[in-house]
Amino acid sequence: MKKFWILIKYEWLNFRADKGLLILVTLTLLAGLYGIYYGTTEVERQRQNLAGLQKLTEHNVEEMKAKYPAGADAGDIGYYHSTFAVHHPDSWAALALGQRDVNPYYIKLRLLNLQSQLYDTENINPQKVLAGNFDLSFVLVYLFPLLIIGLCFNILSVEKEQGTLPLLLSQPISLPLIVGAKLTFRMLVVLSLGLLLSIIAMLWGNVVPDGRVALWLGVVVLYCLFWFAVAFLVAGLQKNSAFNAVTLLGVWLLLTIVVPALLNVYVSIKQPVPQALALTIKQREVVHGGWDKPKEETMEKFFALYPQWQDTAQIKERFVWRWYYAFHHLGDVAVADLASQYKQSLLNRHELVQRLNVLSVPVNVQGIFNALAGTDLPSYVQFLQSATRYHDALRAFYYPFLFRQITFHHADFEQEPKHHFASSPDVASATAGVVKLFISVLVVFGAGLLLYRWKVASVK
Amino acid sequence: MVRSIAQKEFLSTLRDKRFVVLSVLVLLLLLAATVVGLYSAHTLQQERMVAQEEVNHQFHNSQDRHPHRMAHYGSFAFRPKSSLSFLDFGLDSFTGASVFMEAHRQNSANFSQAQQSSSLIRFGEMTVAFVLQMLLPLLIVFLCFGAFTQEKETGTLKILLSQGVSLRRIAWAKIKGYSKTVALVVTPALLLAAGLLFGQNGFDLHPDTVWRLLLFLSFYLVYFFIFIVLSVIISALHRRSSTALVTLLGIWILFCVIIPKAAANLGNTLYTTPTKAQMDADVHEEVAKGIDGHNAQDARAGGLKKELLRKYGVDSLSQLPVNVDGIIMAAGEEQSTRVYREHFDKLTNTFQQQNLISELAAFLNPYLAVRHLSMGMAGSDFSHYLHFQEEAEEYRYKLAQGLNHLQATRLTYKDKTTRLSSDTWKEFKPFSYETPPVQWALSHHVFSLAALFLWLVLVCTVGFRLIDKTQIV
Repeated sequence: MKKFWILIKYEWLNFRADKGLLILVTLTLLAGLYGIYYGTTEVERQRQNLAGLQKLTEHNVEEMKAKYPAGADAGDIGYYHSTFAVHHPDSWAALALGQRDVNPYYIKLRLLNLQSQLYDTENINPQKVLAGNFDLSFVLVYLFPLLIIGLCFNILSVEKEQGTLPLLLSQPISLPLIVGAKLTFRMLVVLSLGLLLSIIAMLWGNVVPDGRVALWLGVVVLYCLFWFAVAFLVAGLQKNSAFNAVTLLGVWLLLTIVVPALLNVYVSIKQPVPQALALTIKQREVVHGGWDKPKEETMEKFFALYPQWQDTAQIKERFVWRWYYAFHHLGDVAVADLASQYKQSLLNRHELVQRLNVLSVPVNVQGIFNALAGTDLPSYVQFLQSATRYHDALRAFYYPFLFRQITFHHADFEQEPKHHFASSPDVASATAGVVKLFISVLVVFGAGLLLYRWKVASVK
Repeated sequence: MVRSIAQKEFLSTLRDKRFVVLSVLVLLLLLAATVVGLYSAHTLQQERMVAQEEVNHQFHNSQDRHPHRMAHYGSFAFRPKSSLSFLDFGLDSFTGASVFMEAHRQNSANFSQAQQSSSLIRFGEMTVAFVLQMLLPLLIVFLCFGAFTQEKETGTLKILLSQGVSLRRIAWAKIKGYSKTVALVVTPALLLAAGLLFGQNGFDLHPDTVWRLLLFLSFYLVYFFIFIVLSVIISALHRRSSTALVTLLGIWILFCVIIPKAAANLGNTLYTTPTKAQMDADVHEEVAKGIDGHNAQDARAGGLKKELLRKYGVDSLSQLPVNVDGIIMAAGEEQSTRVYREHFDKLTNTFQQQNLISELAAFLNPYLAVRHLSMGMAGSDFSHYLHFQEEAEEYRYKLAQGLNHLQATRLTYKDKTTRLSSDTWKEFKPFSYETPPVQWALSHHVFSLAALFLWLVLVCTVGFRLIDKTQIV
């Protein structure tokens, strides 16, 4: 054990003297800090934008009050007044922004048919979202492996190339001990950096300190260990530094870029989402067809769904709002199947990715981070469902005014339902991911150990 | 001498098993990317074409309707995939596929591929451009890192120089040899891509597409050349192969992974994008100050009515030879569209300012230059997307105004019941979108073009000067 600590001590001295390594570590630290800064400002901006929506709604209500000083027909309010369904970020979102920049985080709603409003998008610069987010999860998933590779690619080969390996081995220490000590030292450096950055991010982002702290930190440790295991395995091949560098970078490239890109192709072919365009076309056809259908027919269909309004006054006018909103709702009903299939397809896609992520540890880890932060596709689908329920609540609120023909007074705005949805972490899938990650680490370390045993045996 | 050095480099790489394995892998990926790209672009294109035909058919065969009802019924614009987008999906996966076009409202482009994907899509997509932009440079690095260092390590550089060849000529010869090797990897895939493209279009390709394809290829050739020369220079500057390799890999990581993301994120932080909700509210506010298409009580509408009465010398609106409803509606549409477009221009300006950071970063990083040019040629860049949005908006405006005109001329004042016959709708030309010509696409990438050219010049001048200073140990 003493020898081990001596080796560690000399590694530290070496490390301090090597400017290149210091620069590498400093750069990663800076990148991590920038990632944290970027993530928190981005989430803060979304929070401010969401807060701004509140003002827009208030402003809209004021406008309505001014437009209809003595109260209004609720139909006019339903048409001209809008509110928002809002998707608040989880406090952890700053650490892994996931798909929060791609998927809209609020939906402007009127009483009109839901399906023509639900999928409207936010102003997004496509070139920016293509480049992706430089958040902490990016630094951890992409750049940390590169740091580990940079620190470890010549772990053994450099001793060989400088001719110091035979000297070392002439001492009563074994090869695995040398490699083990060197790796341990580097692990200490990388893990403290990773944990430090994570803790800074948690404090800076003001996260809710729940069980996720342990999960997140555990994942950071395991993920770093995975890459150390890869480096350990490659060092065990006992090739030169150039070979190691290319091999390690090749593995990185394969796992973080090539395999995910191939998986993406597979997922989009295996689980297509064809419903979107069909849905959007059909809902328009049905809604606008409503104008031309006999009013009795429309109302009968509507009353079948909402018998509580059956006994309301028969429609004799050319135009009346309750009929208008009835056929708008029937438009939603007509595409309800498509809409739920659409959501289901999205979730199936996500499920498929969850199943396939064993093929790439980085994909798995990114998935865990996003699941912990509640920023992936399932959160968005949940938000869509929540917005749908909100629209239902709005209709339930306005229907009495419309069908009983009650004047909508200024005070009634107070009673209008408000929407609040905050994404929640998907701890179950994160935990499943951690198990897979743990197995990956064990497999690679195990392979490394076998390789060393075999190599040593073959040397003898 | 140059020829034999080039030949030697070419042959010795072919004999290097590791390199051959890597090249075959890259080639396979390239072929796979071509086929997959073509398949998925074809599927999307088919989906959108069918949808577009369906909505066009629906519009033309609509029931008898009041024209303003028809204006709200509206139409859809589905963005067709450009013929070369299978080579580089670019922004296509992140931009909406369908725009609903109706009166009074400019709707967002919805249903992007990215919105229908889990975060896996953020790892990148397997396209020809991706292989060419990211993987080939790596292959080049691997091919060239030992160009000079190996000769130094084995002591053959001195011997070579003693034959009376200059360092420059050696470098040049090696570059030639490596270029040949790279060509060997790239050509089969590109031939396949071109073949598939020609096959798909039955050999009557639009000349514009051919130009785009040729330029697409040339930009990549220049890019590869820059990387080859750069690698040879770095190799010349180092004494040991391993340090040269590590330096080159570091450069690759910086160029292909860190700078692109950092530049885009920086742009986003520097210039704030207004939310759609805020923008819509601002437009509404400004429009309300003017004329509101649905609200004839509005002061300006009143002014318009008075003016018409004076013009035609009658004293009631029902006596007018035209329907004032349609005219007010048209004036409202004109006003709201003008206001909307001002805001939309402001928004795109913000986006362009954000993107400018990446475009300028191309001067530091040839990867960004070629990426922008590649998307531009493939028709999947920001300006093409913008072009589509503008075309859709223009169509929307014309459709709405055409229907307002019908209301003004064929209907009478306050008439809300008359329905125009279904045949009327056939007079409206359906939405069709043409990709703008290649010159147009190029003109949007002046910076990237300049950056790529500058890199080419720099590596060939400053780079070679550096090679002269190589220490022959």
